[in-house]
Amino acid sequence: MKFNNKFKTIFLDTSANKLDSEEENNASILAATQGSIKKEKVNIILSPSLYWVKKLSLPVKYVREVKKLLPSIFEDTLPEGHYSYYVYKSGDDFFAFAYEDKAILDVLSMQGIAASNVANVYFAQSEFQNLEKAVKVSDTQSIYVKDELVILVPSTWVQESDDLDLSDMKFSKHNITLQQFGHIVDNSSLYKIGAILVVLIVLIAIEYFITLSKAEQIAQQNSELFEKYKLKSTMMQNRSMLKKYSYIHEKQTKLREYISYMLSLKLKKDEKLSLLSLKNKTLIVEFTGVKKNQDAHITKILQSKNIKYKSSYKNDTLHVEITL
Amino acid sequence: MNRINPLYLALLLIVILLLAIFKLDNAKVELADAQESLIETTALATNLSGLKDVYGNQKKSKAAILKILKNSSLKQSNIMKKVKKSGIIISSKSMDLRALNSLLGKLFNGAYNIVALDVKKLSETKVSLHVEIKW
Repeated sequence: MKFNNKFKTIFLDTSANKLDSEEENNASILAATQGSIKKEKVNIILSPSLYWVKKLSLPVKYVREVKKLLPSIFEDTLPEGHYSYYVYKSGDDFFAFAYEDKAILDVLSMQGIAASNVANVYFAQSEFQNLEKAVKVSDTQSIYVKDELVILVPSTWVQESDDLDLSDMKFSKHNITLQQFGHIVDNSSLYKIGAILVVLIVLIAIEYFITLSKAEQIAQQNSELFEKYKLKSTMMQNRSMLKKYSYIHEKQTKLREYISYMLSLKLKKDEKLSLLSLKNKTLIVEFTGVKKNQDAHITKILQSKNIKYKSSYKNDTLHVEITL
Repeated sequence: MNRINPLYLALLLIVILLLAIFKLDNAKVELADAQESLIETTALATNLSGLKDVYGNQKKSKAAILKILKNSSLKQSNIMKKVKKSGIIISSKSMDLRALNSLLGKLFNGAYNIVALDVKKLSETKVSLHVEIKW
Protein backbone atom coordinates (compact mmCIF):
# COMPACT_ATOMS: atom_id res chain seq x y z
CA MET A 1 0.00 0.00 0.00
CA LYS A 2 1.19 3.46 -0.73
CA PHE A 3 -0.26 6.88 -0.16
CA ASN A 4 -0.49 8.90 -3.28
CA ASN A 5 -2.35 12.04 -2.55
CA LYS A 6 -0.14 14.12 -4.72
CA PHE A 7 -2.36 13.61 -7.76
CA LYS A 8 -6.09 13.56 -8.22
CA THR A 9 -7.67 10.19 -8.90
CA ILE A 10 -10.11 9.15 -11.60
CA PHE A 11 -12.12 5.95 -11.88
CA LEU A 12 -12.05 5.28 -15.59
CA ASP A 13 -14.93 3.42 -17.17
CA THR A 14 -16.06 2.91 -20.74
CA SER A 15 -19.51 4.29 -19.92
CA ALA A 16 -18.03 7.62 -18.76
CA ASN A 17 -18.88 10.81 -20.65
CA LYS A 18 -16.35 13.33 -21.84
CA LEU A 19 -15.41 15.90 -19.24
CA ASP A 20 -15.62 19.53 -19.84
CA SER A 21 -15.13 22.40 -17.49
CA GLU A 22 -18.82 22.80 -16.60
CA GLU A 23 -19.63 19.15 -16.26
CA GLU A 24 -16.50 18.33 -14.38
CA ASN A 25 -18.09 18.17 -10.93
CA ASN A 26 -21.01 16.08 -12.23
CA ALA A 27 -18.94 13.69 -14.27
CA SER A 28 -20.27 10.20 -14.32
CA ILE A 29 -16.82 8.79 -13.91
CA LEU A 30 -17.13 9.78 -10.29
CA ALA A 31 -13.75 11.33 -10.20
CA ALA A 32 -12.81 12.92 -6.98
CA THR A 33 -11.62 15.90 -8.81
CA GLN A 34 -12.03 19.58 -8.41
CA GLY A 35 -10.78 22.06 -10.94
CA SER A 36 -9.42 21.16 -14.32
CA ILE A 37 -8.27 17.57 -14.52
CA LYS A 38 -7.35 17.94 -18.14
CA LYS A 39 -4.19 19.81 -17.35
CA GLU A 40 -3.18 18.18 -14.09
CA LYS A 41 -1.47 14.88 -13.48
CA VAL A 42 -3.96 12.23 -12.42
CA ASN A 43 -3.97 8.67 -11.13
CA ILE A 44 -6.25 6.34 -13.00
CA ILE A 45 -8.15 3.37 -11.59
CA LEU A 46 -9.35 1.13 -14.39
CA SER A 47 -12.90 -0.12 -14.24
CA PRO A 48 -13.32 -3.89 -14.62
CA SER A 49 -14.85 -3.13 -18.01
CA LEU A 50 -11.37 -2.13 -19.24
CA TYR A 51 -9.54 -5.32 -18.39
CA TRP A 52 -9.86 -9.07 -18.05
CA VAL A 53 -8.82 -10.67 -14.80
CA LYS A 54 -8.24 -14.27 -13.75
CA LYS A 55 -7.55 -15.58 -10.31
CA LEU A 56 -5.13 -18.47 -10.68
CA SER A 57 -3.72 -21.17 -8.48
CA LEU A 58 -0.59 -22.32 -10.22
CA PRO A 59 2.17 -24.70 -9.19
CA VAL A 60 4.78 -21.96 -9.53
CA LYS A 61 6.37 -19.78 -6.95
CA TYR A 62 7.33 -16.59 -8.68
CA VAL A 63 5.47 -13.93 -10.65
CA ARG A 64 8.15 -13.94 -13.36
CA GLU A 65 7.34 -17.57 -14.10
CA VAL A 66 3.66 -16.74 -14.56
CA LYS A 67 4.41 -13.74 -16.79
CA LYS A 68 5.65 -16.04 -19.53
CA LEU A 69 2.42 -17.99 -19.42
CA LEU A 70 0.01 -15.03 -19.52
CA PRO A 71 -0.71 -14.92 -23.28
CA SER A 72 -1.57 -18.62 -23.30
CA ILE A 73 -3.65 -18.29 -20.12
CA PHE A 74 -5.88 -15.69 -21.81
CA GLU A 75 -5.63 -17.19 -25.29
CA ASP A 76 -9.13 -18.65 -25.35
CA THR A 77 -10.79 -15.85 -23.42
CA LEU A 78 -9.85 -12.69 -25.27
CA PRO A 79 -11.36 -11.30 -28.44
CA GLU A 80 -8.93 -10.44 -31.17
CA GLY A 81 -6.71 -7.46 -30.33
CA HIS A 82 -3.29 -6.32 -29.07
CA TYR A 83 -3.12 -7.07 -25.38
CA SER A 84 -0.69 -6.30 -22.61
CA TYR A 85 -0.50 -8.45 -19.53
CA TYR A 86 0.12 -7.99 -15.84
CA VAL A 87 0.20 -10.33 -12.88
CA TYR A 88 0.69 -10.08 -9.16
CA LYS A 89 0.60 -12.54 -6.34
CA SER A 90 -1.84 -12.28 -3.46
CA GLY A 91 -1.49 -15.00 -0.87
CA ASP A 92 -1.15 -18.29 -2.70
CA ASP A 93 -3.07 -17.04 -5.72
CA PHE A 94 -2.02 -15.07 -8.74
CA PHE A 95 -4.19 -12.33 -10.22
CA ALA A 96 -3.55 -12.14 -13.96
CA PHE A 97 -4.73 -9.23 -16.08
CA ALA A 98 -5.08 -8.62 -19.80
CA TYR A 99 -5.86 -5.19 -21.16
CA GLU A 100 -5.78 -3.28 -24.40
CA ASP A 101 -3.55 -0.21 -24.11
CA LYS A 102 -5.20 1.45 -27.08
CA ALA A 103 -8.71 0.90 -25.73
CA ILE A 104 -7.75 2.51 -22.42
CA LEU A 105 -5.94 5.36 -24.16
CA ASP A 106 -9.01 5.91 -26.34
CA VAL A 107 -11.23 6.19 -23.26
CA LEU A 108 -8.73 8.58 -21.69
CA SER A 109 -8.74 10.59 -24.87
CA MET A 110 -12.55 10.67 -24.82
CA GLN A 111 -12.34 12.06 -21.30
CA GLY A 112 -10.01 14.77 -22.57
CA ILE A 113 -7.09 13.46 -20.53
CA ALA A 114 -3.73 13.49 -22.26
CA ALA A 115 -1.62 10.36 -21.84
CA SER A 116 1.23 12.56 -20.68
CA ASN A 117 -0.92 13.73 -17.75
CA VAL A 118 -1.47 10.21 -16.44
CA ALA A 119 0.73 9.58 -13.42
CA ASN A 120 -0.14 5.98 -12.54
CA VAL A 121 -2.65 3.44 -13.76
CA TYR A 122 -4.16 0.87 -11.36
CA PHE A 123 -6.68 -1.91 -11.68
CA ALA A 124 -9.93 -1.69 -9.69
CA GLN A 125 -9.13 -5.29 -8.73
CA SER A 126 -5.96 -4.35 -6.85
CA GLU A 127 -7.36 -1.15 -5.33
CA PHE A 128 -10.86 -2.29 -4.28
CA GLN A 129 -10.29 -5.94 -3.41
CA ASN A 130 -11.17 -5.26 0.22
CA LEU A 131 -14.54 -3.64 -0.43
CA GLU A 132 -17.08 -4.76 2.09
CA LYS A 133 -20.13 -3.74 0.13
CA ALA A 134 -21.10 -2.48 -3.31
CA VAL A 135 -19.93 0.93 -4.43
CA LYS A 136 -21.69 2.99 -7.06
CA VAL A 137 -19.27 4.03 -9.78
CA SER A 138 -21.81 5.64 -12.12
CA ASP A 139 -25.50 6.36 -12.35
CA THR A 140 -26.12 2.89 -13.64
CA GLN A 141 -23.21 0.77 -12.48
CA SER A 142 -21.66 -0.43 -9.28
CA ILE A 143 -18.73 -2.58 -8.28
CA TYR A 144 -18.51 -5.19 -5.62
CA VAL A 145 -16.28 -8.08 -4.64
CA LYS A 146 -17.28 -11.62 -5.34
CA ASP A 147 -14.92 -14.55 -4.76
CA GLU A 148 -12.08 -12.05 -4.30
CA LEU A 149 -12.74 -10.58 -7.75
CA VAL A 150 -13.94 -7.00 -8.22
CA ILE A 151 -16.80 -7.06 -10.70
CA LEU A 152 -18.91 -4.43 -12.38
CA VAL A 153 -22.67 -4.85 -12.25
CA PRO A 154 -25.74 -2.73 -13.00
CA SER A 155 -26.70 -0.71 -9.95
CA THR A 156 -30.16 -2.21 -10.08
CA TRP A 157 -28.67 -5.56 -9.12
CA VAL A 158 -27.40 -4.32 -5.81
CA GLN A 159 -29.76 -3.34 -3.06
CA GLU A 160 -27.49 -1.12 -1.09
CA SER A 161 -24.40 0.78 -2.26
CA ASP A 162 -22.12 3.57 -1.14
CA ASP A 163 -20.85 6.37 -3.32
CA LEU A 164 -17.34 6.06 -4.57
CA ASP A 165 -14.90 8.17 -2.58
CA LEU A 166 -11.47 8.50 -4.20
CA SER A 167 -10.29 11.44 -2.12
CA ASP A 168 -8.40 9.36 0.40
CA MET A 169 -7.12 6.45 -1.67
CA LYS A 170 -4.29 4.26 -0.50
CA PHE A 171 -2.82 2.73 -3.64
CA SER A 172 -1.25 -0.64 -4.01
CA LYS A 173 2.08 -1.08 -5.74
CA HIS A 174 0.36 -2.78 -8.69
CA ASN A 175 0.35 -0.13 -11.35
CA ILE A 176 0.89 -0.50 -15.07
CA THR A 177 2.40 1.59 -17.84
CA LEU A 178 0.26 2.07 -20.92
CA GLN A 179 1.98 1.51 -24.26
CA GLN A 180 0.85 4.31 -26.53
CA PHE A 181 1.91 2.55 -29.72
CA GLY A 182 1.69 -1.00 -28.47
CA HIS A 183 -0.98 -1.78 -31.07
CA ILE A 184 1.40 -0.75 -33.87
CA VAL A 185 4.58 -2.38 -32.68
CA ASP A 186 5.09 -4.43 -29.56
CA ASN A 187 7.83 -3.75 -27.07
CA SER A 188 9.88 -6.83 -27.85
CA SER A 189 10.02 -5.81 -31.51
CA LEU A 190 10.95 -2.30 -30.44
CA TYR A 191 13.74 -3.65 -28.26
CA LYS A 192 14.99 -5.77 -31.18
CA ILE A 193 14.89 -2.75 -33.50
CA GLY A 194 16.57 -0.70 -30.75
CA ALA A 195 19.28 -3.30 -30.36
CA ILE A 196 19.87 -3.33 -34.13
CA LEU A 197 20.00 0.48 -34.15
CA VAL A 198 22.47 0.50 -31.26
CA VAL A 199 24.66 -2.06 -33.06
CA LEU A 200 24.50 0.05 -36.23
CA ILE A 201 25.37 3.21 -34.29
CA VAL A 202 28.30 1.44 -32.61
CA LEU A 203 29.54 0.09 -35.99
CA ILE A 204 29.21 3.50 -37.61
CA ALA A 205 30.93 5.14 -34.63
CA ILE A 206 33.80 2.63 -34.92
CA GLU A 207 34.07 3.28 -38.66
CA TYR A 208 33.93 7.03 -37.98
CA PHE A 209 36.84 6.86 -35.55
CA ILE A 210 38.81 4.56 -37.87
CA THR A 211 38.19 7.00 -40.75
CA LEU A 212 39.27 9.94 -38.60
CA SER A 213 42.37 8.04 -37.53
CA LYS A 214 43.22 7.22 -41.17
CA ALA A 215 42.72 10.88 -42.17
CA GLU A 216 45.03 11.89 -39.32
CA GLN A 217 47.68 9.38 -40.41
CA ILE A 218 47.51 10.68 -43.96
CA ALA A 219 47.78 14.28 -42.74
CA GLN A 220 50.84 13.18 -40.74
CA GLN A 221 52.37 11.54 -43.84
CA ASN A 222 51.68 14.75 -45.74
CA SER A 223 53.52 16.78 -43.09
CA GLU A 224 56.43 14.34 -43.20
CA LEU A 225 56.64 14.80 -46.98
CA PHE A 226 56.86 18.57 -46.50
CA GLU A 227 59.70 18.08 -44.03
CA LYS A 228 61.52 15.42 -46.05
CA TYR A 229 61.53 17.37 -49.32
CA LYS A 230 61.85 20.76 -47.61
CA LEU A 231 58.76 22.04 -49.35
CA LYS A 232 57.42 25.56 -48.89
CA SER A 233 54.64 25.95 -46.35
CA THR A 234 51.81 26.34 -48.86
CA MET A 235 50.92 24.19 -51.83
CA MET A 236 50.45 27.33 -53.90
CA GLN A 237 54.14 28.26 -53.45
CA ASN A 238 55.20 24.71 -54.24
CA ARG A 239 53.01 24.50 -57.33
CA SER A 240 54.46 27.81 -58.50
CA MET A 241 58.04 26.52 -58.02
CA LEU A 242 57.23 23.28 -59.81
CA LYS A 243 55.77 25.27 -62.69
CA LYS A 244 58.92 27.39 -62.89
CA TYR A 245 61.31 24.41 -62.89
CA SER A 246 59.10 22.39 -65.26
CA TYR A 247 59.20 25.31 -67.70
CA ILE A 248 63.02 25.45 -67.49
CA HIS A 249 63.23 21.68 -67.95
CA GLU A 250 60.94 21.76 -70.96
CA LYS A 251 62.92 24.56 -72.66
CA GLN A 252 66.28 22.91 -71.93
CA THR A 253 65.06 19.56 -73.26
CA LYS A 254 63.85 21.24 -76.45
CA LEU A 255 67.13 23.15 -76.83
CA ARG A 256 69.19 19.95 -76.66
CA GLU A 257 66.74 18.09 -78.90
CA TYR A 258 66.79 20.79 -81.64
CA ILE A 259 70.57 21.23 -81.50
CA SER A 260 70.90 17.46 -81.81
CA TYR A 261 68.77 17.55 -84.99
CA MET A 262 70.90 20.37 -86.41
CA LEU A 263 74.18 18.61 -85.64
CA SER A 264 72.98 15.33 -87.09
CA LEU A 265 72.08 16.86 -90.47
CA LYS A 266 73.85 15.35 -93.47
CA LEU A 267 75.13 18.48 -95.22
CA LYS A 268 76.16 18.57 -98.83
CA LYS A 269 79.69 19.26 -99.93
CA ASP A 270 80.59 22.95 -99.33
CA GLU A 271 77.70 23.37 -96.89
CA LYS A 272 78.84 24.35 -93.38
CA LEU A 273 77.17 25.09 -90.07
CA SER A 274 78.46 28.60 -89.41
CA LEU A 275 76.37 29.87 -86.50
CA LEU A 276 74.59 28.32 -83.55
CA SER A 277 72.95 30.85 -81.29
CA LEU A 278 70.37 31.01 -78.52
CA LYS A 279 68.85 34.38 -77.76
CA ASN A 280 65.56 35.15 -76.03
CA LYS A 281 64.45 31.52 -76.22
CA THR A 282 65.02 31.42 -79.95
CA LEU A 283 67.52 29.06 -81.48
CA ILE A 284 69.23 30.52 -84.56
CA VAL A 285 71.19 28.29 -86.92
CA GLU A 286 72.97 29.43 -90.05
CA PHE A 287 74.29 27.24 -92.85
CA THR A 288 76.70 28.67 -95.45
CA GLY A 289 77.29 27.29 -98.95
CA VAL A 290 73.64 26.39 -99.41
CA LYS A 291 72.46 26.81 -102.96
CA LYS A 292 69.21 28.69 -103.49
CA ASN A 293 66.12 26.53 -103.35
CA GLN A 294 68.22 23.53 -102.41
CA ASP A 295 67.69 23.59 -98.67
CA ALA A 296 65.07 20.83 -98.58
CA HIS A 297 67.44 18.31 -96.96
CA ILE A 298 67.81 20.76 -94.04
CA THR A 299 64.22 21.93 -93.60
CA LYS A 300 62.81 18.45 -94.24
CA ILE A 301 64.01 17.15 -90.91
CA LEU A 302 62.41 20.11 -89.08
CA GLN A 303 59.14 19.48 -90.87
CA SER A 304 59.25 15.76 -90.15
CA LYS A 305 59.67 16.51 -86.42
CA ASN A 306 56.82 19.05 -86.50
CA ILE A 307 59.15 21.83 -85.38
CA LYS A 308 57.89 25.33 -86.06
CA TYR A 309 60.60 27.38 -87.70
CA LYS A 310 61.25 30.41 -89.86
CA SER A 311 63.86 30.38 -92.58
CA SER A 312 65.39 32.97 -94.88
CA TYR A 313 68.05 32.79 -97.53
CA LYS A 314 70.70 35.43 -98.28
CA ASN A 315 74.13 35.24 -99.99
CA ASP A 316 74.36 31.43 -99.99
CA THR A 317 73.42 31.41 -96.31
CA LEU A 318 70.34 29.72 -94.95
CA HIS A 319 69.12 31.37 -91.75
CA VAL A 320 66.83 29.19 -89.59
CA GLU A 321 65.03 30.40 -86.45
CA ILE A 322 63.30 27.99 -84.07
CA THR A 323 61.33 29.23 -81.09
CA LEU A 324 61.75 26.98 -78.07
CA MET B 1 3.08 6.53 -17.86
CA ASN B 2 6.15 8.13 -16.31
CA ARG B 3 8.42 5.59 -17.96
CA ILE B 4 9.99 6.71 -21.24
CA ASN B 5 8.14 5.22 -24.16
CA PRO B 6 10.35 2.69 -26.03
CA LEU B 7 9.12 4.18 -29.29
CA TYR B 8 10.60 7.55 -28.34
CA LEU B 9 13.86 5.79 -27.52
CA ALA B 10 13.76 4.11 -30.93
CA LEU B 11 13.16 7.48 -32.59
CA LEU B 12 16.05 8.97 -30.59
CA LEU B 13 18.27 6.08 -31.74
CA ILE B 14 17.21 6.68 -35.35
CA VAL B 15 18.13 10.38 -34.99
CA ILE B 16 21.50 9.40 -33.45
CA LEU B 17 22.01 6.89 -36.27
CA LEU B 18 21.28 9.54 -38.91
CA LEU B 19 23.67 11.95 -37.18
CA ALA B 20 26.31 9.22 -37.03
CA ILE B 21 25.84 8.47 -40.74
CA PHE B 22 26.14 12.19 -41.50
CA LYS B 23 29.32 12.51 -39.43
CA LEU B 24 30.77 9.36 -41.01
CA ASP B 25 29.98 10.70 -44.46
CA ASN B 26 31.78 13.95 -43.64
CA ALA B 27 34.74 12.04 -42.23
CA LYS B 28 34.91 9.93 -45.42
CA VAL B 29 34.91 13.09 -47.54
CA GLU B 30 37.74 14.42 -45.34
CA LEU B 31 39.64 11.15 -45.76
CA ALA B 32 39.19 11.23 -49.55
CA ASP B 33 40.43 14.84 -49.60
CA ALA B 34 43.42 13.92 -47.44
CA GLN B 35 44.24 10.96 -49.73
CA GLU B 36 43.95 13.14 -52.81
CA SER B 37 46.12 15.78 -51.18
CA LEU B 38 48.74 13.16 -50.25
CA ILE B 39 48.86 11.83 -53.83
CA GLU B 40 49.27 15.36 -55.17
CA THR B 41 51.89 16.28 -52.57
CA THR B 42 53.85 13.08 -53.24
CA ALA B 43 53.89 13.69 -57.01
CA LEU B 44 54.71 17.36 -56.55
CA ALA B 45 57.42 16.70 -53.96
CA THR B 46 59.09 14.05 -56.13
CA ASN B 47 59.03 16.16 -59.28
CA LEU B 48 59.96 19.39 -57.56
CA SER B 49 62.74 17.77 -55.57
CA GLY B 50 64.23 16.22 -58.75
CA LEU B 51 63.99 19.39 -60.81
CA LYS B 52 65.18 21.60 -57.96
CA ASP B 53 68.16 19.34 -57.44
CA VAL B 54 69.03 19.66 -61.14
CA TYR B 55 68.26 23.30 -61.88
CA GLY B 56 68.15 24.95 -58.48
CA ASN B 57 71.24 23.54 -56.83
CA GLN B 58 73.68 26.42 -57.25
CA LYS B 59 76.61 24.77 -55.45
CA LYS B 60 76.34 21.53 -57.37
CA SER B 61 75.97 23.24 -60.79
CA LYS B 62 78.80 25.67 -60.09
CA ALA B 63 81.18 22.94 -58.92
CA ALA B 64 80.35 20.71 -61.89
CA ILE B 65 80.89 23.50 -64.47
CA LEU B 66 84.15 24.63 -62.90
CA LYS B 67 85.30 21.00 -62.96
CA ILE B 68 84.47 20.79 -66.68
CA LEU B 69 86.39 23.98 -67.39
CA LYS B 70 89.45 22.58 -65.62
CA ASN B 71 89.57 19.73 -68.12
CA SER B 72 92.94 19.46 -69.85
CA SER B 73 91.38 19.45 -73.31
CA LEU B 74 90.18 23.03 -72.75
CA LYS B 75 93.44 24.45 -71.45
CA GLN B 76 94.54 25.72 -74.86
CA SER B 77 91.19 27.33 -75.61
CA ASN B 78 91.64 30.60 -73.73
CA ILE B 79 88.28 30.16 -72.06
CA MET B 80 87.12 33.06 -69.94
CA LYS B 81 84.69 32.48 -67.14
CA LYS B 82 82.68 35.02 -65.22
CA VAL B 83 80.93 33.64 -62.19
CA LYS B 84 77.97 35.67 -60.98
CA LYS B 85 75.51 35.16 -58.16
CA SER B 86 72.83 34.12 -60.63
CA GLY B 87 75.00 32.05 -62.96
CA ILE B 88 78.15 31.80 -65.02
CA ILE B 89 79.29 33.17 -68.40
CA ILE B 90 81.78 31.11 -70.38
CA SER B 91 83.40 32.64 -73.43
CA SER B 92 86.29 32.23 -75.79
CA LYS B 93 87.19 34.51 -78.66
CA SER B 94 88.84 31.68 -80.50
CA MET B 95 88.96 28.04 -79.65
CA ASP B 96 89.62 24.76 -81.30
CA LEU B 97 86.67 22.92 -82.80
CA ARG B 98 87.56 19.74 -80.90
CA ALA B 99 87.65 21.62 -77.61
CA LEU B 100 84.26 23.15 -78.47
CA ASN B 101 82.81 19.70 -79.16
CA SER B 102 84.18 18.46 -75.88
CA LEU B 103 82.85 21.43 -73.91
CA LEU B 104 79.41 21.56 -75.52
CA GLY B 105 79.09 17.79 -75.23
CA LYS B 106 79.64 18.02 -71.48
CA LEU B 107 77.33 21.03 -71.08
CA PHE B 108 74.51 19.56 -73.16
CA ASN B 109 74.76 16.19 -71.44
CA GLY B 110 74.55 17.85 -68.05
CA ALA B 111 71.34 19.40 -66.75
CA TYR B 112 72.30 23.07 -66.89
CA ASN B 113 69.96 25.95 -67.51
CA ILE B 114 71.57 27.38 -70.65
CA VAL B 115 69.91 30.74 -71.28
CA ALA B 116 72.21 32.10 -74.00
CA LEU B 117 74.52 30.48 -76.53
CA ASP B 118 76.55 31.86 -79.39
CA VAL B 119 78.90 29.70 -81.45
CA LYS B 120 80.38 31.31 -84.55
CA LYS B 121 82.61 29.63 -87.00
CA LEU B 122 85.81 31.63 -87.52
CA SER B 123 87.68 29.20 -89.77
CA GLU B 124 87.76 25.52 -90.58
CA THR B 125 89.17 24.70 -87.14
CA LYS B 126 88.43 27.73 -85.01
CA VAL B 127 85.20 29.02 -83.43
CA SER B 128 84.18 31.73 -80.98
CA LEU B 129 82.00 30.81 -78.03
CA HIS B 130 79.68 32.57 -75.59
CA VAL B 131 77.54 30.54 -73.16
CA GLU B 132 75.44 31.86 -70.29
CA ILE B 133 74.19 29.41 -67.69
CA LYS B 134 71.82 30.33 -64.84
CA TRP B 135 71.19 28.55 -61.61
